[in-house]
Amino acid sequence: MPAIQTHELSKRYGDVTAVDRVDLTVEEGEIFGFLGHNGAGKSTVINMLLDFARPTEGQVEVFGMDCREHSVDVRERMGVLPEGYDVYDRLTGRQHLQFAAESKGVEIEPMSIAERVGIRDAVDRRAGDYSKGMAQRLVLGMALIGDPDLLILDEPTSGLDPGGARRMREIIHEENERGATVFFSSHILEQIEAVCDRVGIMHEGRLQAVDTIDALRESAAGGTKLQISVDDPSETHLDTIEAVDGVDSAWIEDETFAVTCPSDVKMDVLVALDAAGVDVLDFSTEEPSLEDLFVEYTREGGQ
Amino acid sequence: MSWTVVARKELRDVWGSRRTRWLLGAVAFAFIAGGYAIVLSGFPEPSSADYASYMVGVVALLVPLVGLLLGHRTIVGERASGEMTLLLSLPYDRLDVVVGKFLARAIALGTAVAVGILGGAALVNYPFGSFEAGTVAAYTLGTVLYGAAFVGVGLAVSTATTSTAVASSAAFGVFFLFVVVWSQLRGVFVAALGYLGLADGRLPTWALFLYGAEPGMLYRRLVDGFFAGVEQGPYLGPEAPWFLGEWVAAALLVVWALGPATLGYLRFRSTDL
Repeated sequence: MPAIQTHELSKRYGDVTAVDRVDLTVEEGEIFGFLGHNGAGKSTVINMLLDFARPTEGQVEVFGMDCREHSVDVRERMGVLPEGYDVYDRLTGRQHLQFAAESKGVEIEPMSIAERVGIRDAVDRRAGDYSKGMAQRLVLGMALIGDPDLLILDEPTSGLDPGGARRMREIIHEENERGATVFFSSHILEQIEAVCDRVGIMHEGRLQAVDTIDALRESAAGGTKLQISVDDPSETHLDTIEAVDGVDSAWIEDETFAVTCPSDVKMDVLVALDAAGVDVLDFSTEEPSLEDLFVEYTREGGQ
Repeated sequence: MSWTVVARKELRDVWGSRRTRWLLGAVAFAFIAGGYAIVLSGFPEPSSADYASYMVGVVALLVPLVGLLLGHRTIVGERASGEMTLLLSLPYDRLDVVVGKFLARAIALGTAVAVGILGGAALVNYPFGSFEAGTVAAYTLGTVLYGAAFVGVGLAVSTATTSTAVASSAAFGVFFLFVVVWSQLRGVFVAALGYLGLADGRLPTWALFLYGAEPGMLYRRLVDGFFAGVEQGPYLGPEAPWFLGEWVAAALLVVWALGPATLGYLRFRSTDL
């Protein structure tokens, strides 16, 4: 049974379609990255998982349970680090952790959780005095209570320093090894790339692509990016490059020619430039980064 | 029973607010001060029932004010700040949230009222007055109910909007209508119904029922009927029908305590966070 499954999930606010017919399946036990710019519809999907927002059309199920009908049952199996939350200013970190434990009906050792997420020294201070990063650690701690089967982390690294982000990744891996499914949303590619097995890309409310990171990278148009330093990087030579069979596109970047093309066309490009009388000073190749791929998928409305 | 967890957290949170502690302290203090002042104001040997009717004017002003202040930000405040997002990330039904928060706030106000009345009634007793436990208990119950009604109205306001500013204005509007101007509206109703040909100089009983269903009117009638022994006027006089009496007033106060909060829940249940 999948951990998360949506069918034709849509959400409209007046004329604005925030989520448009999304079919998404997250298998049990995987770390799934949910990638997209701010406003792409990621949080709206998560809000429908949590029953904060109700679908205009379609359904969303967690472990086979409808998120509207069985909202409490669904959240009993989840640990959630939501977006746009605020902590209770007047309660201490410890009181927050205890409240989460009581809510989930489990006994906890607050200090060991505080230790794990790195707020040990602040646990008896009022959470209203916490920095954003500390609040984020506290709420992660609340999410981990009760060993949930599914962790929903909405932009979990926002507000965290690099050390905090690293700790977050370690915890994600630990939880995954314990058997938890992790659903991780972010607009930062490196974060997703570092932890996730599979990625779904959201853009303007649509789910543009779902695949493993490796597969997505392979399918990225053009494949290799070639950078060529020449003595005279003028626009006229771009036509020469683009005339080469197999070249995807060419442009000028930092006084060099940038070319995307399949690997086996590289030499043809260099030969063509040489034939046109251009002096090639240096060249380098670059595998497509997820960023390029992301731009590729979100630029013209996807595949 | 997960609402009990919400209620306990909410009580801790309410008590953590200095402003709320002051408000609740003011309520308790008013009752105690009243117990002291009654001896000086024409009741040489006051009873607990005298105390109840002596306090009516202050209570009818203070309890609605504090009730609305406690209730009107319950949902909307947490929603605007994002605390509700954190709360509902935990496995709670929205009913748990509304019930827990409502009870916590009604209990907070109720405790202040009960402590104040107990202290005030003790002062009334000493040295020349008397203390009737049954009367004090009934008076406390009625007053707590009156407070809960305004916490409930505040909560209903709180669920109807996503803006704390709108909620504050609406709560002020309720206070102004019910507490400040309602008692002045009787003449307006008589004139309006007279114009429609439904009344002739005085309100028919059904109109008296509706006019008298405002919580403050109900509370006064409750105190007049049960404690002051008033047996005259359009509501409590010998001619008045049963449904204008103090028992029905008590029942309607229960409706006020539960009805608006229920409507608020239904509204909250059906909206996106």
